[in-house]
Amino acid sequence: MKRRKFLTQSAAAGAVASALPAPAAAQQQSRAPAAASPLPLPAKTTASAYANKRSGWNPFTVPDYYSYADDLQIERSAKGKPHQGKVLAAVQAHSDDIPLYAGGLVAKLVDEGYTAYLIRISNDEAAGKTLGYGVVQNEIDNREVAKALGCKKAFSFYYRNHRMDDCAEIEIRQRLIFLFRVLQVDTLITMDPYNHYEENPDHLVAGRAAEAACWLSGAGKDYPEHYRAGLKPARVREKYYHARSPNGHNLVNRIVDIGPYIDQKVRGNVANKGKGPAGEAGSRLRAELARQGKRLPLLGDNDDTANHQYVKHFLMEDWRLLGQRFGLQYAEAFRYIGPDASHTAAIRKFVDANAVKL
Amino acid sequence: MARADVKEIVIDRDRPGQPHKGKVFAAVHAHLDDVPFYAGGLCAKLIREGYTGYLIRTTNDEKCGGRTTAENILSNEQEHFKVGESLGFKEVFHFYYQNHEMDNISSLDIRARLIFLFRFLKVDTVVTFNPWGHGEENPDHSATGRAVEEAAWMSGMPNDYHEHMEAGIQPHPVKERYYFYARPGQAFNRIVDIGSHIEKKIDSIAECRSQGGGNHGSLLRAKLAAQGKRLPILGNDDRTADREYIRHFMLDDERECGSPYGFAYAERYYYIDQRGSELTKVDDYVSKNAVAL
Repeated sequence: MKRRKFLTQSAAAGAVASALPAPAAAQQQSRAPAAASPLPLPAKTTASAYANKRSGWNPFTVPDYYSYADDLQIERSAKGKPHQGKVLAAVQAHSDDIPLYAGGLVAKLVDEGYTAYLIRISNDEAAGKTLGYGVVQNEIDNREVAKALGCKKAFSFYYRNHRMDDCAEIEIRQRLIFLFRVLQVDTLITMDPYNHYEENPDHLVAGRAAEAACWLSGAGKDYPEHYRAGLKPARVREKYYHARSPNGHNLVNRIVDIGPYIDQKVRGNVANKGKGPAGEAGSRLRAELARQGKRLPLLGDNDDTANHQYVKHFLMEDWRLLGQRFGLQYAEAFRYIGPDASHTAAIRKFVDANAVKL
Repeated sequence: MARADVKEIVIDRDRPGQPHKGKVFAAVHAHLDDVPFYAGGLCAKLIREGYTGYLIRTTNDEKCGGRTTAENILSNEQEHFKVGESLGFKEVFHFYYQNHEMDNISSLDIRARLIFLFRFLKVDTVVTFNPWGHGEENPDHSATGRAVEEAAWMSGMPNDYHEHMEAGIQPHPVKERYYFYARPGQAFNRIVDIGSHIEKKIDSIAECRSQGGGNHGSLLRAKLAAQGKRLPILGNDDRTADREYIRHFMLDDERECGSPYGFAYAERYYYIDQRGSELTKVDDYVSKNAVAL
């Protein structure tokens, strides 16, 4: 993810501000440019996108806008292990993408029986004291994030960070096809390849490669040498696409209730030390305040608590606000693509119902 | 003629028994007729001497065959199976990249596929185009040679495509290379006597009917018959006509190459042997010079 200075929102943020706790609202008001009031829409028009509420506490949260499909569904926690035997691949360009945008969903699906694998496409070299230190720390982070979210294993492809639009997409796709086949992936979670106004090339390349790899991994004539080695076609039949902020405008048809998994999502983000807004930010703030002879009660009395509480109270706030819209404690939003209906079964059903004797 | 940059010429004669038993080679070519013409004798020889051989074609050969593009792909595909069978290859692979357009294909994609196959098949030796061969005007040849050369050493590197290990496919370096002598003036440092394998080479060329002239004999026989004539060397059936046409008219280079060495037929290669290593030299030094503590 590109580290960019977070610009507070204009009209949308102004509307959110009143809902914020006083300190944050005051802070945001002092930083935000003068916001214009939203204009009423002209007659006979309907809004096609909805501005998200933003706390201003996390630069990488929900995108500016969502467009909601009219068949929007709420996916709540399922009892037992309904996904036992199924496999998901969470494909991210950078070590902090999945924990920030889909950490709750991954934790939920693992809890419901999925075996999960985390696949990172870049080497994250652009975040670190030096390029070398950055690469090593983010490699560690990717493994630790996977553990925190309950993934069985983490993979890294190590393409150069922020330069993935110069990579051969077909080669990345080939590698994903291989892994989808080896791991027998049923479900993909990744960056929406159609996230509008995306400014990080790595995200789009990763999303596009993963999307194409899904159906090609089930095709018999693509990379047939894999089959010669004993691999089987993968049938990736479900996809969850997440958006990214601070830009972005996504079509959403599924809201996932991540309330029961928020602490696990927090742990996934705390594990991400080399980049992103989480990691050890809480303990650093605690130390900074201590040097000033102060403390923030919510950060607790030790570094681990400080890291956890910082992420939960500041960085997860926008997912709380999103959940609030749907009566949930916390939520993540996705463009969900489910299994294709069998057209032959549908035709057969019609035939069975309508065939008459000769 | 030998080039000055290739040291001495090594003469490679038939070896008795199966000295290469347990070893694997991959002959990687771009088009149906490349291996039959440039290396048919060598491949037959290596297999006879114990190698297990795999034949890999990188293009779909759609531009050759005289039919529609689609029909050309089919005919070349089917003939490629027959070429593999005629030379004794265990298995044939096709990548089907677009013919004559391989310079616009991601070399990474080609290379990754070759690395996968070299590891999976445990390839010890490759036979392919010289990626540095001068005078090469076919982009498919250059792209194939380059990808093979790069894949050969990377297939031994555990950090390249480490996900292969997830499927139990381990790194496996390719240690020997035979590069074709494909154009006049290209470097060679090895003369391979293919005299006892010439019939198999002829068989493989005869299967190249969509391209390579494998059916020229039978076509000539039919043409002459229509004129009320026959050429005795072409025999009395199409198969004989094709084989004898090849023997008499299409193997001049092999005869010319073998003649100075007393061989009926020979093929030329630029051979690279990487089986030795610096460690061997160090080991040798240590064994001679290490003293007790």
